Amino acid sequence: MNRRNFIRSAGTVTIGGMAVRGMGSPLLSALNNTIAEDRVLVIIQLFGGNDGLNTVIPTSAYSQLSSLRSQVLIPQNQVLPLSGLSGTGLHPSMTGMQTLWNEGKLAIVQGVSYPDPNFSHFRATDIYETGANSDQILYSGWVGRYLSNEYPNYPVGYPNTDVPDPLAIRVGGGVGGGLMNMGVNMGVSINNTNDPLNLTGNIYVDPATPDCKGDKLSAIRTIQRQTDLYGNVIEAAASSTCSHSPLYPTNSTEAIRLAQSLKIVSQLICGGLKTRIYWVSMSGFDTHASQVNPGDHTIGTHANLLKALSDNIRAFQHDLQLMGLEDRVMGMTFSEFGRRITSNASYGTDHGSAQPMFLFGSQVLPGMLGTNPVIPTNTTSATNLAMQYDFRSVYASVLRDWFCLPQSAIDSVLLETYQPLNVINSAGCLSTDIREANQQAGVELLSAYPNPFVERTTLEYTTLGGPTMLQVFNEQGQLVRMVMNKVMAAGTYKVDVDLGDMHTGVYYARLQNGTNQQVRNLLKVR
Amino acid sequence: MPITPYTGPFGRPELQHLLRRSLFGCTTADRAHFEGMSLDQVVNELLTFTNDTTPPVRAYTDENGDPNGIDAAVPFGSTWVDTPITPLNDTDVIEVRIRSFAAWWMGLMRGQQRNLREKLTLFWHNHLPTQVSIVYQSEMQYRQNQLLRSGCKGNFKQLIHDVSVEPAMLFYLNGYLNVAAAPDENYARELFELFTLGQGSGYTEADVQAAARVLTGWTFMVENGGTPVLPQTLFFPPNHTASDKQFSAFFNNTVIQGQTGPDAGETELNALLDMILAVPECSRFICRELYRFFVHGEISAEAEAEVIGPLAQLFRENVDAPDQIAIVLRALLTSDHFFSNAIRGCMVKNPVDLVVGDLRLFDFPIPDPGLVEARYLVDLEHYWLTAYAGMNLMAPPNVAGWPAYYLYPSYDELWLDTATYPQRNNSLLAVVYGSVETPSNTVQPGSADLAFRVDIIAFVQQLSDPADPNALITDLVDLLYVNPISDAVKLQLKHFYLLFGQVSDIYWTEAYEAYIADPNTTNMTAQLVPDILRWLIGDMQKAAERHLY
Repeated sequence: MNRRNFIRSAGTVTIGGMAVRGMGSPLLSALNNTIAEDRVLVIIQLFGGNDGLNTVIPTSAYSQLSSLRSQVLIPQNQVLPLSGLSGTGLHPSMTGMQTLWNEGKLAIVQGVSYPDPNFSHFRATDIYETGANSDQILYSGWVGRYLSNEYPNYPVGYPNTDVPDPLAIRVGGGVGGGLMNMGVNMGVSINNTNDPLNLTGNIYVDPATPDCKGDKLSAIRTIQRQTDLYGNVIEAAASSTCSHSPLYPTNSTEAIRLAQSLKIVSQLICGGLKTRIYWVSMSGFDTHASQVNPGDHTIGTHANLLKALSDNIRAFQHDLQLMGLEDRVMGMTFSEFGRRITSNASYGTDHGSAQPMFLFGSQVLPGMLGTNPVIPTNTTSATNLAMQYDFRSVYASVLRDWFCLPQSAIDSVLLETYQPLNVINSAGCLSTDIREANQQAGVELLSAYPNPFVERTTLEYTTLGGPTMLQVFNEQGQLVRMVMNKVMAAGTYKVDVDLGDMHTGVYYARLQNGTNQQVRNLLKVR
Repeated sequence: MPITPYTGPFGRPELQHLLRRSLFGCTTADRAHFEGMSLDQVVNELLTFTNDTTPPVRAYTDENGDPNGIDAAVPFGSTWVDTPITPLNDTDVIEVRIRSFAAWWMGLMRGQQRNLREKLTLFWHNHLPTQVSIVYQSEMQYRQNQLLRSGCKGNFKQLIHDVSVEPAMLFYLNGYLNVAAAPDENYARELFELFTLGQGSGYTEADVQAAARVLTGWTFMVENGGTPVLPQTLFFPPNHTASDKQFSAFFNNTVIQGQTGPDAGETELNALLDMILAVPECSRFICRELYRFFVHGEISAEAEAEVIGPLAQLFRENVDAPDQIAIVLRALLTSDHFFSNAIRGCMVKNPVDLVVGDLRLFDFPIPDPGLVEARYLVDLEHYWLTAYAGMNLMAPPNVAGWPAYYLYPSYDELWLDTATYPQRNNSLLAVVYGSVETPSNTVQPGSADLAFRVDIIAFVQQLSDPADPNALITDLVDLLYVNPISDAVKLQLKHFYLLFGQVSDIYWTEAYEAYIADPNTTNMTAQLVPDILRWLIGDMQKAAERHLY
């Protein structure tokens, strides 16, 4: 346990229902590893680009969707309602996550993307894994930077008595870019907890030569050593007695595969590993064709995938509940992008941009952050959904409210300042919750006049004070104007925006002020 | 400025380096075959080959060993590649044929001729991949694989052209669904991003959409009037977008004139590929791909200037040459850079190289050609071994191929993680220790109850003086590792294994000579010789050094 982390996470903790504030309490230092040190984030990556409009379905825009995406449209009466929320529902196969919503363990962040979205699977995946800007290449993953910030000496001298366990574990498949930091893999990967991971009696200890092949040899030896050293603790955790939820699905290959990964995760947490991050994945979301069954849109490829995901998340949450681990673990899903508003003739959808992200667990602040996506009235096959929240704002929220990093540390992980969102319950963080945003949802914080406009329009906006940002995007999601981004006093302001040099068509104006954000549809005409 | 040719000494270390990168491993026989030739002579021979393969044959049965229980339309021992599967979606037959194809491919690599054909076929499989889980059609996969093999050193445009309209690719990236009424951008995007230009090279989203329109109308046939037929490419003019296709400034504002009629697809595809190849970035992109596969993962600024630039120039100068790829590869493999210490020994073997290289190095025995059934069973086991080591042929993770060939900055180090490392190790041990046995209920009587295992005595007898423990260890180190191994480690190996912990070399020499004189000797020490050699070599397989080449 290192003192730096203790100081960072000291604030308000709850012991037996009583809030204890302050440092220096012997009780606190005895309990310190039940605070942020003990928290686990489970990342579920959905490879292929998930169709968000068929996942979190904006029923309030149903008539528009009926004409724009008739090839994949889910019948309105089949959409699963979300209690307390009208106009939005879940895909009919997502009963598991509907249950979590009803239990208050699910948050939905709408319209997650970034300026100038990329439509290539590999580049977009890389962007989400590294946290890069669209025009930037980073040689480290965002989780890799977080772990490196937290454990700066890794891998030299690891494992050790303070940190005996892997920092991160990728279950199934190799370690991706998200866990890398400047060429060092901050995590380990396992396919099967029954694998004997042994390395004994190694006599090949010649020093690596000071050249390229020597550098490679050193890299291989590092993995060789990790294989051996972490093999023991992983095996011990895997073989401890923990009983699992009976709810894990067994009805499809993809469901079974994810269930195996998540069961390994809950087993290792229950078995006592202090690993911070688990990263699991599903693939198959690239539904250009046959996303739905032509005869019944509620079944087919995408339905199977969402069912596998949803049933598994529900089972995993139940697993944690049975093990008494619920308050220590939260989960997050992401895909490399959402899909296009319009469907294509092959019962599928092409690559898009903004997507909903799910956060789940007993400590998320339940509800939907953001609004239903705006479907422009003159949508074409090239139109994309507008961004509401930057994906790095979600990461910032996890870092601030789950791992209790101060703002300066968050900035050094994400490399720029991204406003965290209030989606996670965190003792010691002075946060308002999703309800504040929801209460503001009916209030007009941003308007444009004239609209439609020919060359110029005036944006009127209201900030509650603090960081305030005003952007204009084109329908591709490309940032065409950063109107302003600064700390402001509370009040209502006007700003004139000149789009005289831009093409006619749909634009989006976006205001972000803390958790509050609003998007307004602009139409430029001749 | 042309690439600088290599003019230094061309001795055994240089030959081994060249052969390890061009073949699957370098055996003592490979070495002996080429020793004494000049670099140019060796590379010429490596680039002289044709696709003279014979197709895979039916050597499989159903799970009960009944030869008539599955795919009975094809006579046992005859090839299945010309017989359509009836009914089309008989997945039991598709499954066994895919296995047959996998085993056949493995057999071609392990039994490779001393040339670049199989390594290049694997290169193109990674560069222009399809995934079995999606295509899942044995005849398509076989045909695409043969297309890559036949075109592997030929003309780049021709290869891309052929792959673009091959049924396997039309199916895999939805080309067959790309129609004028509803363009599907999937293939067009990957054609630019992964096959010819590279992400971020400068083309626009509108270019992707325009290219998708150029490519509309191609489809394939697997059934005719309800009767399954061999996969066949078709162009269906009514599904083709007849209007002109405008491209961005990146492509010099090219307009591909809209065509109609039966040749429209072919004409526009050729125009599209000519337009792509006219962009200098295309030549650099493909030269970088070759470099990452054959030379080194990361491309330094120096290599970009001194290797990629000149190679790309050569590529462009030979854009119409029928042996364009061979010309570029010859220049690369005879370059000064290829033999420099900056890249030598500095690549993690891909799992196929690791396993097939070792199967060849230790000369894993294979059944006689007539025993098609035993041959199939052995080949299939070897195929599973490469998959276990981390590279499942036909199943790259996605359309970008394996991340080791594109993901900065780790590249080939991505083959290794704490999950794959033990599996790679186990694969290396399996080659030395393992055996493949055939069942007793084979269809071919001669294929029954056979066992195949590396003959470790025959292997060491190829070395200079296996009776001398010092020479034996030195020869093994030379064959197995590129990194230097100290005398201290060699001494430890000798003492620990060959001398049973004794100090005098004579113990090994006496035991070895006694065993060679009479393999059925009653001398208890001599009887141990094959096991000692397996223990020694098995231990040497566990060194981190084994993963580099």
